[in-house]
Amino acid sequence: MVCRQCGSSQVDVDHARGVSVCMGCGSVLEDNLIVSEVEFVESGGGGSLAVGQFVSAQGGSKLPTFGDSHISLGRESRAQTLQKAKGHIGVMGHQLQMTQHCLDTAFNFYRMALTKGLTRGRKSVHVIAACLYMVCRTEGTPHMLLDLSDLVQVNVYILGKTFLVLARELCINAPAIDPCLYIPRFAQLLEFGEKNHEVSMTALRLVQRMKRDWMHTGRRPSGLCGAALLVAARMHDFRRTIKEIVDVVKVCETTLRKRLNEFEDTPTSQLTIEEFMRTDLEQECDPPCYTAGLRKKKSQGLEIELKKQIGDDFEDEIHEFEDEIDAELENCRPKLRGIYAAYAREVPVQNMEEAIFVATKDDMNSEEEDELQAVAKHFGKDLDELTIEALKKLEQPLDGAPDGAEDEEEEGGIPKRNAPSVESILGPIRSAATLGLSETIAVCVTEQKGDGECDGGELDLSGIDDEEIELYLLSDREIQVKTALWMAENSDYLKAQREKEAKIAKEKELGIYKEKRRTPRNKTRGPIRASSTGEAIGRMLEQKKISSKINYDVLKDLNVKPAPSPARVKDEPQQKTPQITPRATRKPAAHALTLSTPLSSLGKRLQPFITGLKPAAKKKAMDQGPPEVLNPLPVAVPTSAPDALVESGPVAYDDDPEEEEEEEEEGGCVSAMELLGGNGYGSDANYDDDY
Amino acid sequence: MDSNNDEALDIIVTNVVATFRTRCHLNLRTIALNGINVIYKPEFGKVLIKLRKPKITASIWSSGKIICTGATSEEESKLGARRLARYLQKLGFKVNFSAYKVVNVLAVCSMPFAIRLIDFTKKNRPIASYEPELHPAATYRIKTLKATIQVFSTGSITVTGPNVQNVATAVEQVYPLLFECQKPLCKK
Repeated sequence: MVCRQCGSSQVDVDHARGVSVCMGCGSVLEDNLIVSEVEFVESGGGGSLAVGQFVSAQGGSKLPTFGDSHISLGRESRAQTLQKAKGHIGVMGHQLQMTQHCLDTAFNFYRMALTKGLTRGRKSVHVIAACLYMVCRTEGTPHMLLDLSDLVQVNVYILGKTFLVLARELCINAPAIDPCLYIPRFAQLLEFGEKNHEVSMTALRLVQRMKRDWMHTGRRPSGLCGAALLVAARMHDFRRTIKEIVDVVKVCETTLRKRLNEFEDTPTSQLTIEEFMRTDLEQECDPPCYTAGLRKKKSQGLEIELKKQIGDDFEDEIHEFEDEIDAELENCRPKLRGIYAAYAREVPVQNMEEAIFVATKDDMNSEEEDELQAVAKHFGKDLDELTIEALKKLEQPLDGAPDGAEDEEEEGGIPKRNAPSVESILGPIRSAATLGLSETIAVCVTEQKGDGECDGGELDLSGIDDEEIELYLLSDREIQVKTALWMAENSDYLKAQREKEAKIAKEKELGIYKEKRRTPRNKTRGPIRASSTGEAIGRMLEQKKISSKINYDVLKDLNVKPAPSPARVKDEPQQKTPQITPRATRKPAAHALTLSTPLSSLGKRLQPFITGLKPAAKKKAMDQGPPEVLNPLPVAVPTSAPDALVESGPVAYDDDPEEEEEEEEEGGCVSAMELLGGNGYGSDANYDDDY
Repeated sequence: MDSNNDEALDIIVTNVVATFRTRCHLNLRTIALNGINVIYKPEFGKVLIKLRKPKITASIWSSGKIICTGATSEEESKLGARRLARYLQKLGFKVNFSAYKVVNVLAVCSMPFAIRLIDFTKKNRPIASYEPELHPAATYRIKTLKATIQVFSTGSITVTGPNVQNVATAVEQVYPLLFECQKPLCKK
């Protein structure tokens, strides 16, 4: 800063006095500086208080209320979100009987998540539940994630995912779940009466023993608790059935049994009750799944050894027996058609042939027979296409299918079902191979290798067996059948599609059809050409229905809008160019002036309008005060000379009758500016002068 | 200790997922009706083709994007993808094999010792997470390699990463951590 008078750059700014003074010539450069010191005020008892209010960084601004506080401008969105979240947390927390301290902590977590933007894209319910669960974990309350998900009716894993994400992002290390935490809670629910404490203690010891025996890693803690409580109850002569425990602990019976079995395998289970309470075995066990894996390996090894020992002779004998048994079974079973017989069992060649020939009426070549047998051997369980359900579906509509379809052995003709259903006979076998299998079978059995041609373009064909690929394609006949099959299978979907199209076509005819447009289009309206203001206003209002609270009929009759106050001097009618009209009239209509229109928006919209006026007009306009500004503004820029006007408002106005009508309409309203008591803007220096 | 044991440890790649584009619109119905081993799901808008030679399942969308899963090595995946493209060419589409990229590799590895999951999680706090209520394994995510390792208490681990190299590196990285928290198995 340099002094204006002497040019010296030595300027002393005194913040206490709010004055800046040049050190060279002593002239005062600035007066009434805005200071930001802390001010103190003396309070009643002689103490001093600092002037000001604390504003929280996250609290959001509290907008001032004017006069009657019915004008609530709405709190900030963030404050509202937090408020809502607090409410939800409170409700859910009370249902879970959590303390207020926990609820507050949960609310803090939620706030942290909000500031980090983790709530976006997630259901608020999920986030709130995750925050609550985080509190449960950090405080060590006996609430399970399952409880929360029960409350909220959301899948546990979804909640868990949200919880993990939140914990990771907020760097909150939740301590690991200890099954011991849940024991007292479950014991309560199981109602052991007076012996509650003892049973809990026993169960605790059991759980600790289980931990040392490596039964607890990777398992749900509730399962362990259930098993421990069951044993503890029995130890203290309480008969608690597995079903009761299952209800309380929320694991299934199988899990409980499994845990009990695993515990049985440990050496601790051999102790008597008293021994168990007194001593603690030193030895730790391996995790049960590890021992299970070892066992499996052992048994497999044994099998191999056995096989080796038995040798080939016995194998043959065994196979013979197998064959005989199978043949008998085949004869007993109802005969299947076609391929299904082939796949019903992995049977040696001879029997299959018989079965197929007996079962089917179709004409099949023996070559295809062989291939099918090869199929059964090679691809018994590898085929994935048509599932059994699909086949069943096919069976129903096409029960009366012509024999022609059935002739297509390879296409998986639809068999006429005998008494047993497809399911029971086919079992786990997928019979997708039925579609065009013969060719591929030939390939895979003989394992041809063709040469790969090199195409132009980007596909490098080295190592690609073209001929094999060609065999993947179906022939025309096959295509037809497959088309029929597919149509039959997807008939529902196709019907739905057709109906949809029909509906659209009908609507189009009726002219009602409205296509769903996803992207919002900008409605660009052409300029309104009208010969008079009234017409222009009318046209504009037709185009754009702005508010239901405005009496458009009255507005339509308006030519011009004079100010509502009767003290105004009415001025000569002004010429309004049609083009300005729509723009200007749009403003007043758009602002259906109610007390709730926010000041700031009014101000912003009006200011450019005001500044559009000639400065002289502006000044005179401000004579009458800004209240005029807010009323449905008079339309045009005054074209006549300002001195001709004794203005009552910012712009020129018109006929008396219109004014009156307008006043009728607007009479009840008091503009916000009036409420404010005059010049609330004060931003423009021009306006300062004439009051 | 680490790199020596790498030879001893078998990292078995069980699944490779790759995507590529054909740069042309594909008519799903034609594919479905003209091909073997094809499943058409109109509700999902895609076709599944299962190849036999490299055992691969491919999901094909009408926009020309294809995802190939089920291969057991990167080369196999590429071969399968090319086969598939050739197959589509034969069906009559003007296929242009482009943007082939291996997206995910899944490998399985087995440690010769059991692992104390809770200790492991405590030692590697923010990187590792363990929720027994949700999943029996502890999850260890390596951000730099973009790899995720799931550690089971029996000592077997599954590793997923963007390519086989990353997977191997991830195993190398995590081995010493696992070794610390091991539980010597008492052979019964």
